[in-house]
Amino acid sequence: MSEPRMRAVTYAQAIRTALREEMKADEKVILFGEDVGQYGGVYGATTGLQREFGEDRVRDTPISEMAIAGMAVGAALAGFRPVAEIMYCDFLTHASDAVVNNAAKWRYMSGGQFRLPIVFRSPAGGGAGYAAQHSQNLEAWFTHIPGLKVVMPGLPRDARGLLRAAIRDDNPVVFLEHKGHYTFKGEIPAEGEIIPLGVAKIQRPGKDATLVSWSRTLTYCLDAAEKLSEDGIDVEVLEPLTLQPLDVDAICESAGRTGNLIIAHEAVVFGGLGAEIATQVTQRLWGSLKKPPLRIGAPFVPVPYSEPMEMFVVPQVDRIVTEVKQYLGG
Amino acid sequence: MARKQKDAELLLHFYEDMLRIRFFEEKIRDVLLPNKLFRGSSHLGIGQEAVAVGAIHALREDDPVISTHRGHGHAIAKGMDPYVMFAEIMGRRTGCCKGKGGSMHLADASKHFMGENPVVGSNAGMAAGMAFAVRLEGSGRVVASFFGEGALNTGAFLEAANMAALWNLPVLLLCENNRYAISVPLEKSSSLMDLENRTCSYGIPGQRINGMHVMQVYEAVSKAAAEMRQEPSPRFLVFDTYRFEGHHTADKESYRTEDETIAQFRERDPIHILEVEMIDDHTVDLDTTIDMRERVRAEIDEAYARAVQDPWPDPEEALTGVYAEQEVG
Repeated sequence: MSEPRMRAVTYAQAIRTALREEMKADEKVILFGEDVGQYGGVYGATTGLQREFGEDRVRDTPISEMAIAGMAVGAALAGFRPVAEIMYCDFLTHASDAVVNNAAKWRYMSGGQFRLPIVFRSPAGGGAGYAAQHSQNLEAWFTHIPGLKVVMPGLPRDARGLLRAAIRDDNPVVFLEHKGHYTFKGEIPAEGEIIPLGVAKIQRPGKDATLVSWSRTLTYCLDAAEKLSEDGIDVEVLEPLTLQPLDVDAICESAGRTGNLIIAHEAVVFGGLGAEIATQVTQRLWGSLKKPPLRIGAPFVPVPYSEPMEMFVVPQVDRIVTEVKQYLGG
Repeated sequence: MARKQKDAELLLHFYEDMLRIRFFEEKIRDVLLPNKLFRGSSHLGIGQEAVAVGAIHALREDDPVISTHRGHGHAIAKGMDPYVMFAEIMGRRTGCCKGKGGSMHLADASKHFMGENPVVGSNAGMAAGMAFAVRLEGSGRVVASFFGEGALNTGAFLEAANMAALWNLPVLLLCENNRYAISVPLEKSSSLMDLENRTCSYGIPGQRINGMHVMQVYEAVSKAAAEMRQEPSPRFLVFDTYRFEGHHTADKESYRTEDETIAQFRERDPIHILEVEMIDDHTVDLDTTIDMRERVRAEIDEAYARAVQDPWPDPEEALTGVYAEQEVG
C-alpha cells in the first residue's frame, strides 16, 4: 500500500481536525466548555467549529467546571457523546467529582447498565511561564482511577487519530494535551485516521536503551535521541500514547531487547507514572535488565514562574541527554 | 362523578405506591438491619413517600429521574421491582446492579431511573446535562433531580442551577426539605429559611409545597412539567417533609428528641394524612385500605423472601464491568 497523502499541521489543528471529523460523522457528538465557541478556545483548538456546527453543538459555558463535567456525564447518560473542555488540567480539580466519582464509576456501580462516552479534553503542562496553578501534569492521578481511560499524545498525527478513537469510545476518556505544544508542527494523513486506544508506538527505533515518554516530553526525547546518536548512543523512543490502559507488553518487548529502561515525563517523579512503568517492567524482566530503570521528571516542587527556575524543573532536551548518558555510562 | 372516580383511582394508586415504599423500608429497618443483611448503611426516607410518589407519578415514564442516597422511594415510584432492590441491598448477584452498588447506587436504566448519587449536590450537574440532551433531541421530555436541602449549599448545585437557567434546560430541581442535613438543622445550615427563594437570583421560579400531601405534590409537579414541555426551562420546587428515621441506619439521633419525632409522625405522616382524607371524602372505605395494606405487605414480604434466598456473586465478578466493551470504530 502506498503512503497516505500527508499535510503539515499544528497540534491545535490536529485536535480541531479530529473534532470536526467526529462531529461530521456523528450528530450526537457535542462540544462545550469555556470559550470554545466564537473565541475558538484559548489555544485555538476549536476555532471555527461553532460557525460550522451551530451553537447547540458547540457551546460556550460559564466558568463552572463542576457543571461542565457534571453535564458531560448527564448528556452521555442521555445518549450523547459530549466532548467537554476544561481550560486547564489544573482545573480538573474542580471537575474531579464528576470525572472521578460519577463518570468513572456510574457504569460499574450500576452493574453495567450505562455507557459513558465522554471525552474530557484539557491542556496540561508547563514551560510557558504560567506558574504553579496552570502548569501541572496530573495524568498519574487519573490513571489511578478504574473506569477512566487516559490519553496524552505528543505528536499531531497521534493526537488526531487518538482523539477520534477517544470520542468513539464508550468510556470516559481524559484527553490531556500540552499547552506549550499547540503550535508544534507535524504531518498528519489527509484522509481520516483513527488510532486505537491502548496501543503503544515506537516513535524512533534504537538498540541501546528504551526511552518511554509522552506528551511534549516525547518530542524532547526524540530530539535528545538525535543528539545522543551523534555520540554513538542509539536510543529507542517508545510512546505509550494511551496511559490507561497502558500497553505494558510493548514496553517490555522493547526494554527486553535493549536491556535498559528509562522513563521521562514532565510530571513530578514521586508517585508519577514512571514508577508504575518501572515496577511493572522490572517485575517481568528482572534479570534481563542491565540495571534498575531510570526515571527523569520534575523534582518534588510546584512549577515555579521565573524562566531559569522553570527550565530547571521541567525536563529539557539537554537534561534528558545528560541523564541518559550518565545512566548508560555509569 | 367520572371525575371523582378518576381521582379516587389516582389516590388509591398513590396510596398503594406509598405503602410499597413504606413497607419496603420498614423491612430494611425491622428485618435486614437486626439480621445484618446489608453492609455499610441504608438511608431510609420513611415520612418522605408523598414527595417521591406525587412527583414521579406526575412525570412521563420516559422522563429521566436521578436521585440521592435516600432514593428507595424514588426508585419504587419510578417502577423498580422491590425484589431486585432487596437483592441489591443484600449484595446478591441478582440485584439490579449485580451487587456492585448497594443501597446508595440503585439504578434501572429500563425504567429511566438513572441512579442514586449519594455525593450531595453532585447529581445537579448530571441532571442539567441530561436536560441539555433531551432539549437537543426535542423529545419534550423533562428531567427530574431529587436532593435534600443540604445540597442547596453546595457549589455544584449553584453552578448547575445557573447553567440550567442560562440554557433554558427542562430540569425539575426537586428539593426535599426534611429539616436535617445528617445532624445539622436547617437553621444552622441555610442563611435563608424560605428556601424557595434560593434560586430567584438565577431567574428560576421557586415554589414551596406541603410535601406530606401527595395530591399537592402531584398537582404542583404536573403543572410545572406541563409548562416545561411547552417551553423548556428549569423549575425549583421545595417540599416540606420530615424523615421519621435517622439519617441512616446507624444514626444515634442525638440532634433531636424522640418527642419531636413522635409528634411529627402523629401530625404529619403522609400515608395517614392520605388515608384520613380518602376515608373522610368517602373516596374509599376502611376495608379497602386494609385490603390494600395486606396485599402490598404480602408483595413486599414475598420480594424479600425471594431475594434473601438468592446467590452471592462470585468474588471475581468484582473484576468485571469496569469498562464498556469497545464498539469497533
